[in-house]
Amino acid sequence: MPESLAVRRAETSTAITRVHEVLDAFAARDHNGDMLTAVRHFPAREAQWANFPAWANADLTAAYAAKGIRRLYTHQAEAIEAVHAGKNVVIVTPTASGKTLCYNLPVLNATLENSDCRALYLFPTKALAQDQLAELHDLNQRLENRFGIFTYDGDTPADARRSIREKGHIILTNPDMLHTGILPHHTRWTRLFENLRYIVLDELHTYRGVFGSHLCNVLRRLRRIARFYGRDPLFICCSATIANPGELASRLLETEVEVLNSNGAPAAEKTFVFYNPPVVNRALGIRRSYINESSRVAQEFLKHDLQTIIFANSRLQTEILLTYLQQANPQLPGKQETIRGYRGGYLPNERREIERGLRDGKIRGVVSTSALELGIDVGSLDTVVMAGYPGTIAATWQRAGRAGRRSGSSCAVLVASSSPLDQFIVRHPDYFFGNTPEHAFIQPDNLEILINHLKCAAFELPISPSDKFGDVDLPDLCARLAAAGFLHLTGENYHWTQEAYPADTISLRSVSSDNFVIIDVTGAPTVIGEVDFPSALVFLHEKAIYIHGGQQHHVEHLDFKERKAYVKRVDVNYYTDAVRYTQVRVLEIAATEQRAGKEASAHLHSHGDVLVRSQVVGFKKIKFFTHENVGDGKLELPENEMHTTAYWITLERPLLESLPFTVSERQSGMFGLLHALESVATLLLMCDRRDLGTAIGERPPATDCECASDVEAAQRAAPLQGTTENFDPSPLEDATSTNVREFFEPNLYLYDAYPGGIGFSEPLFRTHDLLVQKTRELIAACPCEQGCPSCVGPAGDLAPRAKEAALAILDRLCA
Amino acid sequence: MAAVADKFARLAALKPAQPMPARPAAIRTPGEDDTLGRLLGAGIATNHFGEHLAIRNWFSTPEFAEPACTTLELLSRTRDESVSCKTRAELEDPEKWLFLDTETTGLAGGTGTYAFLIGLAWWDAGGLQVEQFFMRDFAEEHSLLQELSRRLKERPVLVTFNGKSFDWPLLENRFTMTRSIAVPKLAAHLDLLHPARALWKLRLGSVRLVELERHVLDAPRLGWQRDNDVSSALIPQFYFDYLRGGPVEPLAAVVRHNQMDLRGLAALFGKINALLSQQTDAAVEIESLDLFGLSRFFQRRGENDRAHSACTQALEIGLPAEFRPRACRALAQMAKRRGEHARAAEIWLEIVADANDGIHACEQLAIYYEHRYKDFYRAAEFAQLALAKLRRQRNSSRDPNFTARCIRLEQKFLHRLARLQHQMKALGGIACSFTLRRRIIGGEPIRTASK
Repeated sequence: MPESLAVRRAETSTAITRVHEVLDAFAARDHNGDMLTAVRHFPAREAQWANFPAWANADLTAAYAAKGIRRLYTHQAEAIEAVHAGKNVVIVTPTASGKTLCYNLPVLNATLENSDCRALYLFPTKALAQDQLAELHDLNQRLENRFGIFTYDGDTPADARRSIREKGHIILTNPDMLHTGILPHHTRWTRLFENLRYIVLDELHTYRGVFGSHLCNVLRRLRRIARFYGRDPLFICCSATIANPGELASRLLETEVEVLNSNGAPAAEKTFVFYNPPVVNRALGIRRSYINESSRVAQEFLKHDLQTIIFANSRLQTEILLTYLQQANPQLPGKQETIRGYRGGYLPNERREIERGLRDGKIRGVVSTSALELGIDVGSLDTVVMAGYPGTIAATWQRAGRAGRRSGSSCAVLVASSSPLDQFIVRHPDYFFGNTPEHAFIQPDNLEILINHLKCAAFELPISPSDKFGDVDLPDLCARLAAAGFLHLTGENYHWTQEAYPADTISLRSVSSDNFVIIDVTGAPTVIGEVDFPSALVFLHEKAIYIHGGQQHHVEHLDFKERKAYVKRVDVNYYTDAVRYTQVRVLEIAATEQRAGKEASAHLHSHGDVLVRSQVVGFKKIKFFTHENVGDGKLELPENEMHTTAYWITLERPLLESLPFTVSERQSGMFGLLHALESVATLLLMCDRRDLGTAIGERPPATDCECASDVEAAQRAAPLQGTTENFDPSPLEDATSTNVREFFEPNLYLYDAYPGGIGFSEPLFRTHDLLVQKTRELIAACPCEQGCPSCVGPAGDLAPRAKEAALAILDRLCA
Repeated sequence: MAAVADKFARLAALKPAQPMPARPAAIRTPGEDDTLGRLLGAGIATNHFGEHLAIRNWFSTPEFAEPACTTLELLSRTRDESVSCKTRAELEDPEKWLFLDTETTGLAGGTGTYAFLIGLAWWDAGGLQVEQFFMRDFAEEHSLLQELSRRLKERPVLVTFNGKSFDWPLLENRFTMTRSIAVPKLAAHLDLLHPARALWKLRLGSVRLVELERHVLDAPRLGWQRDNDVSSALIPQFYFDYLRGGPVEPLAAVVRHNQMDLRGLAALFGKINALLSQQTDAAVEIESLDLFGLSRFFQRRGENDRAHSACTQALEIGLPAEFRPRACRALAQMAKRRGEHARAAEIWLEIVADANDGIHACEQLAIYYEHRYKDFYRAAEFAQLALAKLRRQRNSSRDPNFTARCIRLEQKFLHRLARLQHQMKALGGIACSFTLRRRIIGGEPIRTASK
């Protein structure tokens, strides 16, 4: 077709026909039918309307009317009625369904009725607060600027802060600022706290895992201070669709929360496509690069003049995709660039400009990290391309929601990478489309986190016997803090007795603030990054090749005491992989369950407290592309001990005896199984792969935990308790050469990779059956022959038949 | 259970920040408080919030200094219309003055920092009455604050050293935290840190109270000695140790330290009062550097005439070589503001050779010749001289920030030069523009500008 004709056609045909043209083209190329693993159509949905409530202030409804909002969606009306009735609510709606009105309307209404009324808005990022500020300013202008509405964060100039504290009716901030900047100085904020009526928590689903556990404690402190000033504020929360919004909200707020999850907003017709890049080497399970494929898919849409957003999972991938697409769509002379990138690290003005460009259609394509997944308003786009599975069902729907907000039709394409998670999702579309999204878990009573926040709480106000902090045993913990010199008991109250300011050293985004700084000493020393403590041992040991921003660095020296790593830029054809031994000792079993069934399926699953000892003992040098081992080295690094929680499966002797494999095949099978279990567990838990650790160890001689202290047994079992990150079967073979070892009963551990545990173990224990079943599906459906990164791990790392052995074990576990 | 004990033992959050003293828990015998009281010379004060220790001492030095009107004007802007008659009356009445200095559990601020010792002082019987309130534990804070509130009602003019940014906001926090004692209203708050900084920072580098005592107040002559003075950095830990049953002796030293600070504060007021109220021409015995400091202080307060005369005087008496160009620069600036441009140019020419202030002088002269005199040739010469100086500085420096600053300045001069050359072209010919430059660099005497 001549170029000009194509353009004319693109202009005349509707978005629907153009989307279908592209999809047809994909289908035509999919000869074997294994490229497009799912094509699902979702019909359009009509809006359901309701009127503004009679109690709403006339000025406010007039201001909304002037913005073009004369009616409410039913879910908005429902939400504001619930807030009006004095309930804590969590509103669950997809992107772009007008959720901000659900909190802005009640808050502004209350402030119009009583100008003393104050509200605090919390957003997980500064950018989101800025976005909401713009929306509120618009309303405020239509109401003659009767309100003081300000953001208060690290960027707020010092000279503006005093007036914000006095005049702000609505303060938009983030949990980190609340933690370090507001709560420890609450006496400066008396105007706010004495009149605090509403607290808005937007993007509630982001507060899970460590961050959520911290936030829960920050909210405990916030409510304690509000009580001090005689207030008991209402909470209005908004969340993306997750499986347990009500549970998450009530755990975070530690009170009853009403869940509102109907949706009256209209939706466009949508097509959702799963795209698996074609296999290039079936034996090794290697597929075509998903980055290249994503770029190709996006380019198809762009060529058909469909405005497209491309999501990548890292900053680096964002930049690579942007380069590809800009090359394919060169900037016309005198015209604005039509393809832009969007990620953290871009300046606020640039971001605003891109958002505008997307809304008015001048920008045709944008490559973004998760930055655009949250509620920033960029208008409606035609198509979404996801380069790699975002990691959770919830995030995938959030991203897909970026397309077709108001337009006639839209399309979302998920391009799978070769990681197990991605492969599982694209090969089991029903799992994705048929399931509720993940659960979000928090563990606010993780002792490490809890005690740090108790310190902050004591700094803010002395802790009195009548104080509440969740339902933790305050007297006991305070006594321990006093014994360590942090608090002092006077009369009945515990007072802070340190010069230091506790909030400063506690970061909400991780458990420990004990980070290693990476210093590039190639030229003048410059700090190029920071890595947390456990990762430092693995990635920054001496002689490691550390890759930062695409550049290889050789680690010259690791200064353990000073927490510094000195690196030099190099260009070599290998990377390094740390060999880590991990030992797990069960300290206390919280629950254990035996699956009744045939003898051959004898196994237990349990969860409880464990002690994880890990040590990086060496490293391997691995050549790029060929993955040959071109050398190794020994390392003497300190052992790292962590008390945490774990879930584990114990394979019992009858099960093992029933397996028709050699000892080493069986061992390999277990490691392969664990690899796959971990992938599926992260999927079920809505957590990051780094949040979980794995290990195999011998089941203690008796199930009682005290036996673990049997030194002799521990020593005897030591060679078996080791597991390396990249499994090398040879030492195990030596260790298992005797008959005694042949049928040791192994525990397959999945532990929380945070000191104290972050609450994953118990949910894993509960979903044991599903976990095992999904893992079996993952391995069974993988087309590779002897294992690949998408299922049990790369074939070269395991003994032959490992995949078969893993499947055989899973068959028995499912029986 | 062993595992539970283990669990706590491993917590990073429970690791003591400093080694805990290996003594039994704080069980104090009833007689022990008396030891502290005796040691401090304290009595027990009681009000309806409870009790605390109170320590009273009278000192014959420093002697009472009648605050002069000019001093008050300069320190509190009493001429300002917004200051009410009542406030003015209270300010002028030394009976209403209260010197204050606190010892705290830290410098971090925020709601978890306590003032465990509040030191107050006022003029009495020709000398200084010092009263200190000490809380033996946190429960006594309310009664301590109540007492402070009462004193401030009687004497609502607060005089402190760095109190505006430290002591008073901290005490405001403490009052707010009680939810029962209102934050006292102050008639005025004179913080002597800012005038002290303007006056003596140049000479002393540091204006810590101890330094001022030694070098400005001439403490040894007054017979003041800070024997075995405690280091401020150790004070919070002394108090924490005491709370947990540790020794009381260090606290006696803290109380003495606080007394010395209060006397130093009062004496400092006397010194500043004397400096500010004196007729400058009678100030023969004032050191020239202090005169220059005084001029800087006057300038900040918008007292241009007095600033000018103090500066001139300082230069006449003679300043150390390293301060002379800076004083000249200030003097020229003042002349420029008064519209005496020729006089200013004269002074700039004097310091054109200086390493630090020379570039500034060149810039000012370039502006002067360009705009006042329309002598573009000379203006261009000074711009070029400045460029040469900048390049030399840049080449000899390794500090990247400094280099960047030099480059920015160079850009500015290049821009000016381009404009000047454009203007010269418009006038025709740039013939003689480079001859003079050589002369200046060669260090030959320069013609002073004359009309």
